[in-house]
Amino acid sequence: MSIMEMNGSAIVAMVGKNCVAIATDKRLGQQALTVDMGFEKVFPVTDSMYIGLAGLATDVKTLRDRFRMRVNLYKHREERTIEPGTFANLVSHTLYERRFGPYFVEPVIAGLDKNQQPFICNMDLIGNINYAKDFVVCGTASDNLFGMCESLWEPDLGPEDLFEMVSQALLNAVDRDAMSGWGAVVHIITPDGTITRELKGRMD
Amino acid sequence: MARRYDSRTTIFSPEGRLYQVEYAMEAISHAGTVIGILSKDGIVLAAERQATSNLLEQSIGSEKIYDMNDNVVAGVAGLTADANILINQSRLIAQRYLQRYDSPIPVEQLVRRLCDLKQGYTQFGGLRPFGVSFLCAGWDSAHGFQLYQSDPAGNYSSWKAACIGENSGNAQSILKQEYKDDSKEDEQANVAGASMSMDDAMRLTCMVLSKTIDTAKLTNEKLEFATITLKAGKPHIHVYSPEEIDGVLSKNESVIKPSDS
Repeated sequence: MSIMEMNGSAIVAMVGKNCVAIATDKRLGQQALTVDMGFEKVFPVTDSMYIGLAGLATDVKTLRDRFRMRVNLYKHREERTIEPGTFANLVSHTLYERRFGPYFVEPVIAGLDKNQQPFICNMDLIGNINYAKDFVVCGTASDNLFGMCESLWEPDLGPEDLFEMVSQALLNAVDRDAMSGWGAVVHIITPDGTITRELKGRMD
Repeated sequence: MARRYDSRTTIFSPEGRLYQVEYAMEAISHAGTVIGILSKDGIVLAAERQATSNLLEQSIGSEKIYDMNDNVVAGVAGLTADANILINQSRLIAQRYLQRYDSPIPVEQLVRRLCDLKQGYTQFGGLRPFGVSFLCAGWDSAHGFQLYQSDPAGNYSSWKAACIGENSGNAQSILKQEYKDDSKEDEQANVAGASMSMDDAMRLTCMVLSKTIDTAKLTNEKLEFATITLKAGKPHIHVYSPEEIDGVLSKNESVIKPSDS
């Protein structure tokens, strides 16, 4: 069993028309045992950007604290909020610093840049960034998510349609993965604000 | 006689004084004034910019007032280069505390850590002290709004109204007379004893500024203004833009001493 499959997770981010979506499951397990059904894996970075962290739960929490620290320092020193592209580089750098003893997480970043253009990317555990134009997936259910997204995704969907699509992709993918599920959280980031919804799927 | 005891920071003089620290304070007394006033709804910080030239690009960056953290804002008097080092250190201190405890650093702890840093330069290493005094205005959930003054020696104390920099003695005596504090200590056990409103505090700030700054007229180029208040239960720092400073000055015109022509 790989260390990345110890706790279980499923995270997906998708691009829509002037909006992005990021969605995650809520399960925290210790292999087969389910420990928490409300474990937070997606965190706000700025008002218009979220980061999802899939992988080992303790590293998820630690990295969330480290990124919060670095983003706050950036905000106070530069007197502006960090852009998604810049933040992605910050995340990549933080992961590569531990190249030979890595954090066991795979991040997913979704947000709108200062011109309200959608931005998504994901990384492997040592910080290689994948800039995608359509969708990115991470976690134990990533293979299932790839299949669902590839068949469901289409460009230029508005916030409501994007929400429906992301929800279907995530819920059906986690249903086929024992290590993820127990409900979902979906954030739709638009220029007017972020809409957060909780989903109830198969609770097993 | 004093000459023999002032070239090294780490020794006392026979009279029990640390001359380098005193010389640092002397440097600060020539720097632009910073005033801080505590009110029941927040704290006002105002500062005089000394470097003015119409060639200066002043819209970018502050010279005197800096955020240390989401819940603490500080006004600086003294050597700006020294202040930059300390501001950066205080930002790191605040973020490391947040990372370790997942909760914002209490204001007094931040001030104390900064002062411990300053104190080190008066006792070890033979390096000169930082020539900076701070007025730190902040809020935390334990003690509400607090205003701290710290000096190059590493001493700090909590104030209802304070002033550092040029003419600070003058300003301090005006503040002592004018600051209205009707609060009774037993009623407000947990909250800093202040009963002024923010508007009153702004008014008092403008009055003291106009009496201590020796330019003919108060303009937005000469001043920096910031407030820290609560919004939805969370501390909110607002550094005023030049237009907003004009707004404050015109609102409090009546207390601003007219220029002698």
